[in-house]
Amino acid sequence: MSTEPRVVAEGVSKWFGSLVAVSDVSFDVGPGVTALLGPNGAGKSTMLRMLCGLARPSRGTVRVLGRDPRADVDVARAIGLVPQQESVFEPLTAHGFVRLAATLHGLADPGAAAAAALELVGLDPADTRRLPAYSKGMRQRVKVAQGLVHDPAVVVLDEPLTGLDPRQRAAMIALFQGFGAEGRCVLVSSHVLDEVERLGSRILVMSQGRLAAAGDFRELRALMDDRPLRVRVRTDRPRELAGALLEAGTVVGARLDGDQVLELDTNDARELARALAPAARDRDARLLEVLPLDADLEGVFRYLVQR
Amino acid sequence: MSALDVSAETRPTATASLGALYRLLLRTQVTVPRLLGIAALGALSVLLGVFARWDDDPVQAAADVAASYGLGIVVPLAALWLGTAAIGDLVEDRLLVYLWLKPVARWHLPAAAVLATVTLVVPLAALPLAASALAAGAGEAASAVLLAASLAACAYAGLFVAAGLWFRRAVWWGLAFVLLWENGGARASDGTARFTVTSWARSLLSTIDGVDVPLDGRSAAAALVVLPAVAVGGWLAATVRYRRADVD
Repeated sequence: MSTEPRVVAEGVSKWFGSLVAVSDVSFDVGPGVTALLGPNGAGKSTMLRMLCGLARPSRGTVRVLGRDPRADVDVARAIGLVPQQESVFEPLTAHGFVRLAATLHGLADPGAAAAAALELVGLDPADTRRLPAYSKGMRQRVKVAQGLVHDPAVVVLDEPLTGLDPRQRAAMIALFQGFGAEGRCVLVSSHVLDEVERLGSRILVMSQGRLAAAGDFRELRALMDDRPLRVRVRTDRPRELAGALLEAGTVVGARLDGDQVLELDTNDARELARALAPAARDRDARLLEVLPLDADLEGVFRYLVQR
Repeated sequence: MSALDVSAETRPTATASLGALYRLLLRTQVTVPRLLGIAALGALSVLLGVFARWDDDPVQAAADVAASYGLGIVVPLAALWLGTAAIGDLVEDRLLVYLWLKPVARWHLPAAAVLATVTLVVPLAALPLAASALAAGAGEAASAVLLAASLAACAYAGLFVAAGLWFRRAVWWGLAFVLLWENGGARASDGTARFTVTSWARSLLSTIDGVDVPLDGRSAAAALVVLPAVAVGGWLAATVRYRRADVD
């Protein structure tokens, strides 16, 4: 299997008036599954639109299979896009919608290709209901089917797991991983860290329009786990507990807030998680609440951007 | 399949892609409110034709109904309602992405939109105008009315499909265009009338025997060229916009 990059972005920026949506982003993506991770508003969808040629970069270049997806309509033959938006052509059935995509891709037998794509995502091609009658999850799978119907070499999926139940998510993730294993370039965007963890080993992290990090997911996960973290602990013996944790080196700072609340700074969240309960037990302290602060995904991205 | 060699892949034939897009746009354009609204305008023209039957000169009266109400109101409004929606609705509903990222020449979608609009406007607006002439007892005027209304429908379809791509809230811009320019401008002076679709369409009514239509230097023969040319111009403007647009 060739490991040559299929999708290349070089110094890509996109702005809308004074709003900079994507700023000087460069990366390349080869065969296999690559996840584009970032919070809402990070610029992921704008980046994917530029990769597919749907939007022209304000600066920089994008190449898919060595060609400009904006100028060369034939590149569309190799790209399968599952867009983020929920809207679909309401007068159509699922089969009609996917067959339309097959027809516009010039497939010899659009009806058969549409049926195969729908079966691939677990939907009945013979279903005569129009798309508005479908559940959100079913419509999402129809969108995936129309993106895959022409057997593309590059598959771009913008938040494809939205609206799916856990069983459907597992099936979709297995499907995408299978495509990656076949040597296709699969680029999946998500703002859910755990979702990305299950999707693939390579990730690109975007935050505030910039590429914050890129590489193997395990390395980035370790980086995220090791970042400084602030934890709020409510206990009936805050002074004793803070002293014990500081003495053990589990935390690097402790601050009392009132009679019961303690804010702890640690560089090793896992070690704190292990040491907190035994320390409380040894000091006869009751743990009433343990709340990580700044532990949301935004916090993780902010940390990665600041590094 | 290995799709790495993109050049080895074939595009759909123009017939296949135009046909698929045309059928799709027909289905997305047709909504009950639109059909009822346009049908009501058409039905009113037939009713006006019935009243024209009692006029001293029913042929002239039928031509007047076609010129003022039909070509000034019914045809442009029907084309406006359907034409701006043809691609404009896809833009607003963020559906264009499903059509843009396909190996299809960019001119196909605007062409399909113009064709679909004409397909709906002619039976919904032009045919009732011809029926209006028949109802007035001016059967000899019906074919000229149908021709004028159909060519006007083509011209307006081109313009309003383009407007749907170029402007947000294209219906309102188009409504102002129809009322202020196509009706007000057409009556303001000979110079402005020369640049209105409705005046060129009205000139085709001069081919009806015994009907007095102010031509102001225009000719029915020239209208046969000008009106399709406006349609082509609108289609080209829509294609230019579609090629350059960022698709959401």
